[in-house]
Amino acid sequence: MEEKEVKESRLPQIKDIINYNDFFGEYPLIFAIKIISSLSLIFVITEFYNYHNPLDSLFTKYVKQLSDSSAGSEYFSSFKPDPNIFVLWSVVAGFIFYLFTLLKGKYKFFVLLLTIIFVGQYISDPALDWKLGEHIIPSKVGDEGAEKWTWKPIKILYEDKKESVERINEFTTRAATLIFGLIPFLGIYGIWKRKAWAVIGSIALAVIIGWTCNPNYCLENFDADYCGYDSKSKESTWDETLAGGIFVGLGFIIYIELSYAAIKYENYAEQFKPAGMDNSLLTDAQKKGVSKTLRTLFVSYLVNLGVMLFLTFTMAEIVINVNDYLSTTEGIIQDSVELQGPYGIVFTSLIFLMLLGFVRMFVGADYETEES
Amino acid sequence: MWSKKAAAVTGGALFLALAGLIRLNYLFISAGLVMLIFVVLASFLDVWMPNVKIRRETTSDNIFENGDMSVKFIVKNKGLGIGFVEIYDQLPPQARITKGSNYTLLYMRPWQEVSFEYSLKLPLRGHYHLGPVKMRVKDAFDLFYNERIEESVHSFSVFPEIEILEEQVITSRAPKLLSGAMPLNVIGTGTEFYSLREFVPGDSLRSVNWKALAKKGKMMVNETVREDVMDVILLLDAREVSAVGGGKDTPLEMSCRAAATYAKQLLDERNNVALMIYGESVEKIDLDRGEHHLFKILTALSSAIPKGNLKLEIVMKDMLPYIPSGSPIILFSSLDDDHTISEAFTNTISRGYTITTISPSSLDFEEKMKRIPAQPLLIARIERDNMISEIRSFGMQVGDWKSGEAVNTALQGF
Repeated sequence: MEEKEVKESRLPQIKDIINYNDFFGEYPLIFAIKIISSLSLIFVITEFYNYHNPLDSLFTKYVKQLSDSSAGSEYFSSFKPDPNIFVLWSVVAGFIFYLFTLLKGKYKFFVLLLTIIFVGQYISDPALDWKLGEHIIPSKVGDEGAEKWTWKPIKILYEDKKESVERINEFTTRAATLIFGLIPFLGIYGIWKRKAWAVIGSIALAVIIGWTCNPNYCLENFDADYCGYDSKSKESTWDETLAGGIFVGLGFIIYIELSYAAIKYENYAEQFKPAGMDNSLLTDAQKKGVSKTLRTLFVSYLVNLGVMLFLTFTMAEIVINVNDYLSTTEGIIQDSVELQGPYGIVFTSLIFLMLLGFVRMFVGADYETEES
Repeated sequence: MWSKKAAAVTGGALFLALAGLIRLNYLFISAGLVMLIFVVLASFLDVWMPNVKIRRETTSDNIFENGDMSVKFIVKNKGLGIGFVEIYDQLPPQARITKGSNYTLLYMRPWQEVSFEYSLKLPLRGHYHLGPVKMRVKDAFDLFYNERIEESVHSFSVFPEIEILEEQVITSRAPKLLSGAMPLNVIGTGTEFYSLREFVPGDSLRSVNWKALAKKGKMMVNETVREDVMDVILLLDAREVSAVGGGKDTPLEMSCRAAATYAKQLLDERNNVALMIYGESVEKIDLDRGEHHLFKILTALSSAIPKGNLKLEIVMKDMLPYIPSGSPIILFSSLDDDHTISEAFTNTISRGYTITTISPSSLDFEEKMKRIPAQPLLIARIERDNMISEIRSFGMQVGDWKSGEAVNTALQGF
């Protein structure tokens, strides 16, 4: 019997273009962890920028002043970082960058090339009009029969320079907001690509950016129109800020813990793969076994996390309220110690932590020093 | 104990709290304090080390080189301890995991029994053990942990790889020497016809040749060639110099594989086989036969380590009085660094023994490792060729066994 020759399709298969398995993962549970972790990151960053207005940052001051005074000021004229815009777009950019890293071989290069071409075309399109000569170069010119060859260069006509400048302006403004957008950008990339350095980098950046922010600092350097507020009365009260800080702190814990869990459990599942192979070589029973173990681990983990967050929140509330009570109640403590202020809250908290440390000495497991 | 993560989170939290004080940033302060509280509370979650019982079920207690061994690791929590437990079953450094994992992370509940499986492969002969088991109990967030080593050890041996010797090589090249139950060319009990003779009282009627009776008219009986088993002495060179090379590519490893292959073949043919391993001293497995004896020989080969520099002449002088007269001796040696070889062979041959030598070439390993420059290597090769020629001039058979070749090919040189 004659064998039929099977022709291979010229179109590449999707698995040869992009490693989509990395996105969905082998186990739905890990995919779910990544989504929850991403949502907690968005929440934390949004809350973070509600407190730390990017316009009050030293970065904004220097970038703005530099652009206003430099020759290229026209390109930065609209520099005004807005968290409502850049947080979302940075998350999207981080995710797109992650998807870009999933592309394989030449496709990665082509997409990069196309991106550069499109950006270049987008910026230059209004300004540049490519006018061709009557003859495509090189061509014969002059009387009929003349043997003279001449070059007719393509003429570049600058049609709408203003529109291009506006586009550059818009582009650079968006790029400049990456200073603040790097936190969600790195965070999202780290969660999905399972890169601990990116997650740690996003946290470190949050600390650095927070450090550079001073409440109402914008008004000291720019006018109210630019800053979007005209008085210093918008500053949150001490209680409001502390209460908000608890949620941001809890949000950070959720973000750190879940992104760490995603990496940890993914690595755990990874070890069951045969070396250099994918999960398809595992039998259904083996896959179910790994899934079951992961489910057991993750459910226990979530229960632990939930209980711990609740306890942490309760403890933090107690500390703040005790501090508030002590600092506002007339008596010997209030007279002798200044508790109503940042030093006071830290002092009260450390006392609580010290007490917990004493309790820990008598409660809980001790460390074994000898091998069994 | 504190994990790196706990140290990092605590350090970060303290930094946030202090930075908040310096910058008067309430968000930093509260976030830092929340993280500190989280760490302190997590320290209470540091669970008790569970009291566990560990056992392993393996497919075999002994495997051959490159053979697979499946291990089922079973751990039972005998107490009320609860928590996230990491279990790491320590393996020999040479082991390669082919399936599954020797590590697991699980959430252990009281009285729970959990098992996991893995398969491993060991490329080198020797005696190994699985375990001890490293156990690490930690909280859900990997902030604090407690470690313990469970002395649960499972020993096993990896025997040298046995190749199947091609019969053709044995029969055509060295038929009498290595074929086991061999005709001794004297009349006796056997299967091969030798001659006819007249019947005498006492002869079995089974041996009567009825055709000859019909032809000659008188009772004739068949005489057969007497067959007997041989006593074969395997002599293995395990001197320090036999460790030249690396991994599986050393004269000693090759010699062990060859000795195991020959021992199996000879014992299968019902011969008596003895093994002598010389290096620092001489280790001896006495003549015997059967499956159990093969096990003893393989175990001794697994234990062979390169050590000492005992010369062949001394070994032969000590051993020959105990070797049955006329028994063939098979020497597995790279013939390196021994100036007594010629004398040893002369003495042995003069006493009526035959020595067959299978000599893995250590120069191939040196060349592979690129430790010897080309010129000295060439000289060493010439010296080795001269040595082999000299031994062959005694009328003895020497197989110049190249690296990477099968044992069979060593015989083909005869």
